[in-house]
Amino acid sequence: MIGASLPRPDAVGKVTGATAYPGDLVRAGMAHLAVVYAGRPHARIRHIDTSAARALPGVLAVLTAADVPFNRFGLIDADAPVLCDDVVRYVGDRVALVVADDPASARAATALVRVDYEDLPLVGDVHAALHPDAPLLHPHRPGNIVHRLQIRRGDPDRGFAEADIVLSETFRTSWQEHAFLQPEAGVAWVDDDGRIVVETAGQWLHEDRRQIAAMLRLPEDRVVVRYAAIGGAFGGREDLGVQHLLALAAWVCRRHVALVWRRDESMATRHKRHPFTIETRWGARRDGTITAVAARLLADGGAYASTSQEVVKIATLFATGCYEVANVALEGLALYTNNVPSGAFRGFGSPQAQFASESMVTRLARALGIDPVEMRRRNLYREGSIEPSGEPLPPGVSVRACLDAVVDELARQPQSAPPAGWRRGWGVACGIKNVGYSFGYPEQATATVELSGADVIERAVVRTGVADVGQGSHLAMRQIAAAALGLALGQVHLISDDSAATPDAGSASASRLTLVAGRAVHDAALAALARWHDEERPACATVQFRPRATTPLAAADGAGRPNYCYGYTAQALEVDVDPATGACRVVTIISAHDVGRAINRQQVEGQIEGALAQALGYALMEEFQMRDGQVRTAGFSTYLLPTALDMAPRIIPLILEHADDQGPFGARGMSEMPLVPFAPALAAAIHDATGAWLSRQPMTPERVRAAVRRATAGEEQP
Amino acid sequence: MIPAAFEYFAPGSVAEAIGLLEQHGDEAKLLAGGHSLLPALKLRLSQPGVLIDISRVAELHGIEAGDRLSIGAATTYAAIASDPAVLGGCAVLAECAGQIGDIQVRNRGTLGGALAHADPAADLPAVVLALDAAIAVQGPAGARSISADDMFVEMLTTALEPNEVVTRVTFPVLGAGEGASYAKLKHPASRYAIVGVAAYVRLHADGSVAAARVAVTGAGPRAERQHATESALVGSAGDAAAIAAAAELAGESMEYLGDIHASETYRRAMVKVYTRRALEQAVARARG
Ligand SMILES: Cc1cc2nc3c(=O)[nH]c(=O)nc-3n(C[C@H](O)[C@H](O)[C@H](O)COP(=O)(O)OP(=O)(O)OC[C@H]3O[C@@H](n4cnc5c(N)ncnc54)[C@H](O)[C@@H]3O)c2cc1C
Repeated sequence: MIGASLPRPDAVGKVTGATAYPGDLVRAGMAHLAVVYAGRPHARIRHIDTSAARALPGVLAVLTAADVPFNRFGLIDADAPVLCDDVVRYVGDRVALVVADDPASARAATALVRVDYEDLPLVGDVHAALHPDAPLLHPHRPGNIVHRLQIRRGDPDRGFAEADIVLSETFRTSWQEHAFLQPEAGVAWVDDDGRIVVETAGQWLHEDRRQIAAMLRLPEDRVVVRYAAIGGAFGGREDLGVQHLLALAAWVCRRHVALVWRRDESMATRHKRHPFTIETRWGARRDGTITAVAARLLADGGAYASTSQEVVKIATLFATGCYEVANVALEGLALYTNNVPSGAFRGFGSPQAQFASESMVTRLARALGIDPVEMRRRNLYREGSIEPSGEPLPPGVSVRACLDAVVDELARQPQSAPPAGWRRGWGVACGIKNVGYSFGYPEQATATVELSGADVIERAVVRTGVADVGQGSHLAMRQIAAAALGLALGQVHLISDDSAATPDAGSASASRLTLVAGRAVHDAALAALARWHDEERPACATVQFRPRATTPLAAADGAGRPNYCYGYTAQALEVDVDPATGACRVVTIISAHDVGRAINRQQVEGQIEGALAQALGYALMEEFQMRDGQVRTAGFSTYLLPTALDMAPRIIPLILEHADDQGPFGARGMSEMPLVPFAPALAAAIHDATGAWLSRQPMTPERVRAAVRRATAGEEQP
Repeated sequence: MIPAAFEYFAPGSVAEAIGLLEQHGDEAKLLAGGHSLLPALKLRLSQPGVLIDISRVAELHGIEAGDRLSIGAATTYAAIASDPAVLGGCAVLAECAGQIGDIQVRNRGTLGGALAHADPAADLPAVVLALDAAIAVQGPAGARSISADDMFVEMLTTALEPNEVVTRVTFPVLGAGEGASYAKLKHPASRYAIVGVAAYVRLHADGSVAAARVAVTGAGPRAERQHATESALVGSAGDAAAIAAAAELAGESMEYLGDIHASETYRRAMVKVYTRRALEQAVARARG
């Protein structure tokens, strides 16, 4: 059961089209919503005139800020208006909501909503946001700062003085679009008990419920959130998308309502992965010991807080990667701008930070004439290593084992030549990413297991609010319960998609569900089993699992115990580069992951391959672009995604199983980790092939060619 | 993404199509494969009141082989790319047509539509220029032939007069000592040419270059001959050094269009790289 590559029960329905995604829930007779967007990055609303829109035949209502009982929402800081009242802060801000009999009338009416704006000065990027005279996006947020932190350890000045070599570089990463298959959609109504019901896709039933209840000023038990099949998420459904708009319209109009976003709406308005500018300095001794790291990480948080605060904390914590460094001076800063908000995305700040840190380790190694693998081995985290925040790592530090596995596999690779005129190189990088919530945020998952039958257990019903965003969590939960109970998979039934019928399992994020919710299911199964043996019929138990506590980071120096579990990874990439055009082709990927215990091996490999595709896109081509607050890439003809033809022909996943002390059967999360080392491994491979260093992502042909030319010109200089 | 309303006609002959064009004037547009026109209609960049569908006019179809290849304007890229006469006598045309867009585009898009539309990133105009193809057109004033060099006037503008229809395009059949090639840097999503270079060479018996025609598409507002490159090559030995030197001259006097996928600077550099690649291939083929 545990480790078996059991096929996904949901696969056939998804492939044949039988499965209902949120857009499939729309029924005849429902009213349709359409959103009026700001379309401008920063402006004061002088007046909104909805009369022409309301007069259009078929239009039932046009909702504005005045219709929202509590007009703020947000995951951490409720700073985003549901419908803007005074100011719009990015092009995708919502100003009004049309409710009409049919989608065409709803859309047509959006054009008739007249908004009188007074444009305000634009805060176009982080540098503009930092300017002393910059306009404030949120008056109560001085300096346009969403969050600032510093982490200091040891004596950085002495660390740099002790170094034989000091290298500095500035790294830049771009926004990344989640590009899940299924754009936001859903339906909502008020049921016979007077509860507002929202059926949609999301990542956390109970958090969606909390925010909707707060918006409508209702007790939480008057709100029901249900998830249909979820067509991908990757962090992109953590912030509310259509959920609250549906709830508002159904509540105010007392109608069944539906909203299905177009791709361009989805892309232009939803949060993205944070673009970072990372200025960093690394010192090392001749023997390869890293003596000091300084870094300043600037993140464009966009118009609203979203999860910027947590992302910038994670990024800053990982500014030294997975290396033990005695002396560190790190500063992280997330800023408000008039760009699309930045928020959660698979990896949550780690890929950006470790593009810089891993690249610097490789550069130091090259500068010192040490093999980059050897350089890593000398500095890698070990059991008991101290994090920048000054505390020992949680037990189970396995990054060295991941690296060793990759190096062994590398040695077995066949030798082949690149196409004529191309150059081939190999690059290696490691990675670390937290599993679960960090920095003292309350972490828990709750599950209920009910066992029924006469003499023997015939059936187990597991209840836990786990969102299966496509990653296979539903099957994993059932495998865990079946294994704990000694039942066949078919005897285990899971109820997971209804906030009124399940206890809270927390979000499908931070690679946490298998460990936290899986452990809750496991423990609840064992507790129910004990009651079964005590002759309880049916035997029922509810267990809340809470992993080891974490703490916030101290304001002065960042001291604290940030995380309770880490996932570790290492990768090697074989890359061909055409120096004339700058085109790169990834030929081989070796990706090693300590997953603690693979609950379903096929699903683990699927997560590795899927994340690698997303990583390849992020590293080579995906570049969401804004200029002057306007989106330039709101479709897939301008926002480039990798296809099957772009993927490496050879992908070798290596699954290590060093049991975690908290996860069920030793499992720990892994779904974000393949994204972490990819870009720096790619940059290292490009350097190996051409001598060029890339410090900006994505590494487009144009940028690679320019870097190769700079490197070649450098060689020619005396 | 929904076009404005239009009237639809499907004439049975070119004469009938011309009659309809005259009758409806500026209101009317010819519809061939629809792979440029329909996107424009959907985005409402173009809102003709009348569409005249010539995709099923029999006389606009077919590939006639002889001393030269005569190809009907409504022939699709897929038909061209797989035609034995084209593959045998003018393989570069099949090479180019087979790289256009994706399968759907190749099954619908037509030779005449591509030339009449003159998209700056279209592939075929470069091959038409490099092979010195002749474009036969018919209009209210009768039939005439437009030479490749006169056809592409500026972005989305050709030498076609109002109400003229492209009927056929005539390509040479390449013989011994002749070679041609099309080299393309594709837009990763649409597969349009970011830079496309078509090269044709004819060699003397001693292997030196007797004639050369090189044309670039994609990089600028219109497909353009590269006269400096051609002159540098003619009379040379046609070896790697001569090709590299000639390719360095490509694109020097061109106007460029940059976008978020490729800047003007990058396109300028790629014109030289792809000119070299197209020429190397064309010469290799000419040597047989
Ligand atoms: C996704 C996508 C990818 C593409 N990729 C490429 C690519 O890689 N390379 C490339 O070259 N092109 C590409 N195209 C464009 C494609 O080749 C078009 O088919 C071509 O530009 C127009 O040909 P058509 O037959 O579709 O013409 P239509 O779209 O029907 O017509 C285009 C214009 O030409 C006029 N016209 C058509 N036929 C005639 C005629 N016989 N006489 C006079 N006027 C005429 C029409 O009135 C109209 O103004 C792509 C298109 C799409 C949608």
